[in-house]
Amino acid sequence: MNIDDPRLTAYALDELDEAERAEIAHEAAVSAETQREVQETQTMARRLREDFAAELQHPASVVKAPLSANLSDIRDDPWFWSIARPLAVAAVIAAFAVIGLAIFGGYKLQQNKIAQASRHPTNLPLAAPSEIEAEMASPMIALRQPAAAQPEFREDFSRDGDIRTHNGKSNTADYGLFIENPFLAALDNPLSTFSIDVDTASYSIVQRFINNGTLPPKDAVRVEEMINYFTYDYPKPTADEPFSINVDVASCPWEQAHRLVRVGLKGREIAQDKRGTSNLVFLLDVSGSMTPAERLPLVKQAMRLLVEKLSEKDRVAIVVYAGASGLALPSTTGEHKEQILSALESLQAGGSTNGAEGIQLAYKVAEDNFIKGGVNRVILATDGDFNVGVTSQGELIRLIEEKAKSGVFLSVLGVGDDNLKDSTMQKLADKGNGNYAYLDSLDEARRVLVQQMNGTLVTIAKDVKIQVEFNPARVASYRLIGYEKRLLRKEDFNNDKIDAGEIGAGHTVTALFEVVPVGANANPAANLPSVDPLKYGTYSTNATQGDQRSTSSEMLTVKLRYKKPDGDKSELIERAVVDDGKQFANASADFKFAAAVAEFGMLLRNSEFKGSGTPGAVLGWAEEGKGKDANGYRAGFLQLVRKAQALKRG
Amino acid sequence: MPDGDANADSKRMQVLLRRFEIPLLQFATRITGDRERARDVVQETFVKFQNNGAFQSPEPATWLFTVCRNGALNVCRKERRMQYVDEELIEAREAGRQPMPFERLEEQEATGFLLKIVATLPPRQQEVLQLKFQNDLSYQQIAEITKTTANNVGVLIHTALKTLRQKYANAAKDFVPFTPRTTNEA
Repeated sequence: MNIDDPRLTAYALDELDEAERAEIAHEAAVSAETQREVQETQTMARRLREDFAAELQHPASVVKAPLSANLSDIRDDPWFWSIARPLAVAAVIAAFAVIGLAIFGGYKLQQNKIAQASRHPTNLPLAAPSEIEAEMASPMIALRQPAAAQPEFREDFSRDGDIRTHNGKSNTADYGLFIENPFLAALDNPLSTFSIDVDTASYSIVQRFINNGTLPPKDAVRVEEMINYFTYDYPKPTADEPFSINVDVASCPWEQAHRLVRVGLKGREIAQDKRGTSNLVFLLDVSGSMTPAERLPLVKQAMRLLVEKLSEKDRVAIVVYAGASGLALPSTTGEHKEQILSALESLQAGGSTNGAEGIQLAYKVAEDNFIKGGVNRVILATDGDFNVGVTSQGELIRLIEEKAKSGVFLSVLGVGDDNLKDSTMQKLADKGNGNYAYLDSLDEARRVLVQQMNGTLVTIAKDVKIQVEFNPARVASYRLIGYEKRLLRKEDFNNDKIDAGEIGAGHTVTALFEVVPVGANANPAANLPSVDPLKYGTYSTNATQGDQRSTSSEMLTVKLRYKKPDGDKSELIERAVVDDGKQFANASADFKFAAAVAEFGMLLRNSEFKGSGTPGAVLGWAEEGKGKDANGYRAGFLQLVRKAQALKRG
Repeated sequence: MPDGDANADSKRMQVLLRRFEIPLLQFATRITGDRERARDVVQETFVKFQNNGAFQSPEPATWLFTVCRNGALNVCRKERRMQYVDEELIEAREAGRQPMPFERLEEQEATGFLLKIVATLPPRQQEVLQLKFQNDLSYQQIAEITKTTANNVGVLIHTALKTLRQKYANAAKDFVPFTPRTTNEA
């Protein structure tokens, strides 16, 4: 048979009817060349599927602000459709406007609608059309209607009085959309690879929404950041390793037939006085949008807390950025605390933002005062509204990425709500070898900058990647809970050029997997569409062994790669895990608590994987898992769940 | 914990939006080469979808991709003789057409190595590849969407895969994976 026959490709892609299929199957059985052709076509098809799927997994590249969340909210509104339906022209305008809304005003509307919905079970007319139009006067529309004024639309939406946080300004918060990890068959995808993450911003953001009386937008809920907001009591690492790996398994509380696997890392602790000398540059956004009390004033208070903790040898410089960027304080040692504090005190908000220049300057100051073996870090505090000058998100990120090579680390502190570029900040921190925290209060500032000061400031390992290999003989399928934005390709694990997350001193990092054991009755959401067994065996790169299911009793192996803070070569740690069949009821308090937080996140996302969990159940697990709770954060979580429960009922 | 009392239609519409929005945007982006316009097209597609009741059909994918494709092609056609739109708008669009640096970066992030090769294929081949491998549609469905025969779709995909395998093999020698987390440009 001619290998250039398109039917061969169709066969490889299972597009032929029964008769033709049989014909080519017969052909393939006798001809090695045909066989190879089919195999190579399938390999290419698989690669294409992976890459095309990856393209969808990074929807930010397609659409900065997805339409669907907003569109689906607006869709029910009688006004919108009464205009849109009869008039094609109107439909186009509406399309334009909705897009503008999606980009520039999106989730505020959503948020208000949730608030309204929780008060009024029936559909309320949203607002007068003119107000909606006004609201849609995004820059895109304003291009054609330069006269469109900044409207005070907020008044009407917030009539019911429960949303006061927006100060009448257009809300442009941007939480990047992501799609939850699905269940994957262990046989086809034995490897789960991701970058560790110690960011905690999502939890603070969720907390702020709930405390303000609304449920957070779905995409602001990143489950791994919620889990990692809390510290867990993992054993300290032995002397020569930067962190310990701890894996435990118990039944999954929201899906009894499944197993829940917790992978926990604990970074080496460094005593306050053992910390290397610090060279810190505060890069503070002093643009006009930073005026409200919970922004620049909060940042100043937070920085004061940090300065108070510094020793005499530590150095601090302050760079501000607004219309013009400048050095507000040259690098000054801790001996002159008064000078540092008064420089902080004198900062005033005003002007618009040029983040890029400020970042350039801050890194230059940090490099000029570089302390070898010390803590060299830029601390960026902003509401994220980078919108003047050469700034595009990509340029900023590129800049940060470039600067990260200098050995200066980055901390990003987000403040404010209505135009918080949450996804930008997360990205900046990722690319800048850094961490990202969201400060909603002085308490949170104290947590990040004082209690966990060393964790925030001192990086003990960088580019930390986890690869878990599941044993298909034990595991039918598995799902990584959260970490959607941190997935790596399996090849990336051993590739030292690939950047990944950092671990700070004393930090704990936790990841959860929901595992469907072989033979378990899977929940419908975990049911994978069945795929015919491969006729010619597996085509993976190590396919020489064919489909030999391991007889090992191990459930999985956790592999971990990391680099020393100043190293370029990664080191490997491995840990094999056997499931001892533990029940959730007998699991450790920390295990229960982490499960509770994960399930709460999934409930907030209304995830299809939430299983049988309810807010009430979450409260129960969290209560059992509360432990000593020295800082009261876990009690705070319980409160938060109760508030969210009340919102639901509202 | 959003409340679940929306009626079935609106639920279904939401499900479909979520399911198809990004794939359609990606599809329209590949045709128009411009995200903003792709957004317009997808938006219009959903408006039409809602209005003509097509969203009740058991197989909405073919419908959606067909209408989206027509819309995207229309945009491309119009652009070539677009004199009547005011200049400001044209300027803005022209400015939008040149990939901003961040777009290039983003594209690099989102686009696998293989997709870079895909981008060098003839448009018809790119289109069917995307429908087949991103959206998992059958030859028959793709034929309906692209107004051709299933046989022809088979030939397009076959030819495309051949070229891809060849170029991939050639390029794989100095392959550096494109991923969001590459620190070295190397």
